[in-house]
Amino acid sequence: MIEWMTTTDHKKIGIMYMVATMTFFVIAGILAMLIRAQLARPENDFLSAHAYNQIFTLHGTAMIFFVIAPFGLGLANFLVPLQIGAPDVAYPRLNATAFWMFALAGIVVFSGFAMYGGAAATGWTAYAPLSEIAEGTGAGQDLWLLGLLLASVSTILTALNLIVTIFLFRAPGMTMWRIPIFEWEIVATAVLILMAFPSLTAVLAMLLIDRHLGGHFFDPAFGGNPILYQHLFWFFGHPEVYVMILPYFGIITEVVATFSRKPVFGYVGLVIAAFAIAGLSIGVWAHHMFTTGAVNNPFFSAVSFLIAVPTGVKFVNWIGTMWKGSIEFSTPMLFAVGFMLNFLIGGITGVMLASPPIDYDAHDSYFIVNHFHYTLAGGSMFALFAALYFWFPKMFGVRLNETLGKWCFALMFAGFNVTFIPMAFMGLEGMARRVYTYPNIAHLGLLNAIATGGSVILAIGVMVFFADVATSVFAAARRRVPVAANPWGGYSLEWATTSPPPEFNFEELPPIRSRRPVLDTVNS
Amino acid sequence: MLPDATIFYAPYGYRFETMRWLLDPASVQGVTMRGDWYVFLIAAACVGLFVYGCIFWCIFAYRRSRNPQPAQFSGNKPLEVLYVVIPLLIVIGLFIVTMIAEIPVDRVAADPANKVGVIAFRWSWRFDYPGGITTIGTPFAPPTLYLPLREATEIDLTSADVTHSFWVPAFLFKRDAIPGMQNLFAITPTRVGTFRGRCAQFCGLDHALMTFQVKVVPDPAYERFIASRGVEVP
Repeated sequence: MIEWMTTTDHKKIGIMYMVATMTFFVIAGILAMLIRAQLARPENDFLSAHAYNQIFTLHGTAMIFFVIAPFGLGLANFLVPLQIGAPDVAYPRLNATAFWMFALAGIVVFSGFAMYGGAAATGWTAYAPLSEIAEGTGAGQDLWLLGLLLASVSTILTALNLIVTIFLFRAPGMTMWRIPIFEWEIVATAVLILMAFPSLTAVLAMLLIDRHLGGHFFDPAFGGNPILYQHLFWFFGHPEVYVMILPYFGIITEVVATFSRKPVFGYVGLVIAAFAIAGLSIGVWAHHMFTTGAVNNPFFSAVSFLIAVPTGVKFVNWIGTMWKGSIEFSTPMLFAVGFMLNFLIGGITGVMLASPPIDYDAHDSYFIVNHFHYTLAGGSMFALFAALYFWFPKMFGVRLNETLGKWCFALMFAGFNVTFIPMAFMGLEGMARRVYTYPNIAHLGLLNAIATGGSVILAIGVMVFFADVATSVFAAARRRVPVAANPWGGYSLEWATTSPPPEFNFEELPPIRSRRPVLDTVNS
Repeated sequence: MLPDATIFYAPYGYRFETMRWLLDPASVQGVTMRGDWYVFLIAAACVGLFVYGCIFWCIFAYRRSRNPQPAQFSGNKPLEVLYVVIPLLIVIGLFIVTMIAEIPVDRVAADPANKVGVIAFRWSWRFDYPGGITTIGTPFAPPTLYLPLREATEIDLTSADVTHSFWVPAFLFKRDAIPGMQNLFAITPTRVGTFRGRCAQFCGLDHALMTFQVKVVPDPAYERFIASRGVEVP
């Protein structure tokens, strides 16, 4: 226990990141189920308006700031030194500091539920001036602000650490054009974090000044401007979307190549695409603001369309990697295919929403809820499970049960789609997001009932995963058969060392002469 | 604490038109935007089916039992150029379609036939017609916005407290109501009827109940409504 709390080992910190994010994932998932329970029927009174508003606020906040984004960084913590053949990250103590800040941040945000007046209830975007008046003035909102400030600083520190590690700590022979695609995606992510997160830190600080020190940044009565909040928030908020997807693109690339038994198709193209996405994503923030009438819609529309091109490149490269391969459908590969099928829908609806006339109708409706869940849940979350199944043997020396894994995938894939397909139609029927009740008109009752049914299937799928972890760990403890160093036939360096790796990662490094050093060792 | 939503919605709930909005929008601007929707839906379906086809073909044709020996190649230069150029052409086309739809929708006439001021507040709406007619709603008695048929009405939108959004799904349109800022846009309804409207931007506790209805009436009825200073309700 003390050993884990004081460790600076990147593998232990990475694992603690992932355990913490999965804990927050369970909490945020329970909040999601409460949302679906409330919306199961029209005019339901299972939750009060204020309770519902707190719940969807913390569901979004937790999934974004404490699950999807930090899991990617946690996995990077574990993987980056292993994949580039380094003994640890560049700044191990900074790494530990960042993790404990992050864990504290999550506790601070969730402790809002214990406050008088409840947790933050102004949405994960906390638009000013809403977050400065009435129910936005409670202690819950302050804890939300402080928690996110901590999380933003922690994220910046981790990004710095990872970028320095990848640039300076590569093993001899591991040139930049030989590092796995996952490392490139992490570099792009870290660059994005360094550009975008200071804007979040600033806007949160400004909100704190407005709330407690008599500032008027966002108060129009004193010459402040609510649009300024939206600009600063989305200048962070849209790159954040790519912080939440680029690491997962990297995971999918590794998994698809391994299970297709092929090198990555179009390696250089993938790298360029990652940086094209990162670069363009700095210039698209105001597509969240098309309906404000205060931004240059054509410019932000055009840049948003352009970002579809490098994202399309990624897709073709994954398909190209599978092309003429010999594909084995183990659980990680199933999740990777599920990722592609879901994320494609998220990407296509994203292009539609980049057209302001469509956004005028779909903005802030359930059509948007459908869109971003297809990218972040159907996309990133499926890739997250692919990563868990793929690297679990490396992290813990235990292989998860394949049969349960396939059940987990099937239930999650079916449940996810049954939950979120109806939401596109709810949006077209005029259901706004973030409403705790809706009238029984059109097909809203039916569509919501289907969505709630789907969410139950999805939740069972997630429970199968935890059952899989519990039974596999238990069975492994009884059998005491060590897992092979390379159970999947992977190509990158982490598969060259034992499962789990020794404290300094490698007893000896294989020679690195190509992008697939482990394959070279096998062949020679 | 919960308002009785049943009483609130029941009197007019089922009279609203439903599900036809995208196919049959109720305003001139809505019809323009429907064109944009259709182009994008068709493009989305084509691209989606093509990529799905590629994925399913790969996972069927190259599964291990059918193709035990993987080919070892790591790229295809002409193909890589092609799949940058083709999507680029597609999005350029889509951008042109977008602009063709957006410019008329965002256009506001210099001298509008009819002007209505809309002020959003937590959690209802205030409508100010010419001649000093004012309607103020509550969450439990949502106000009605009367609009003349086939005439461009300019809406002058703002907010009294936090950011709201004026959304009428039947017009396929919304615009944010932002405190300290005025947003102008035009609506030209094309058919008589009652349509649902609501706040789309989360605005706190009773955001869900911040609704209104739009009643499009023939021009003479609207004229009488204005001339009688709101007494003769259409």
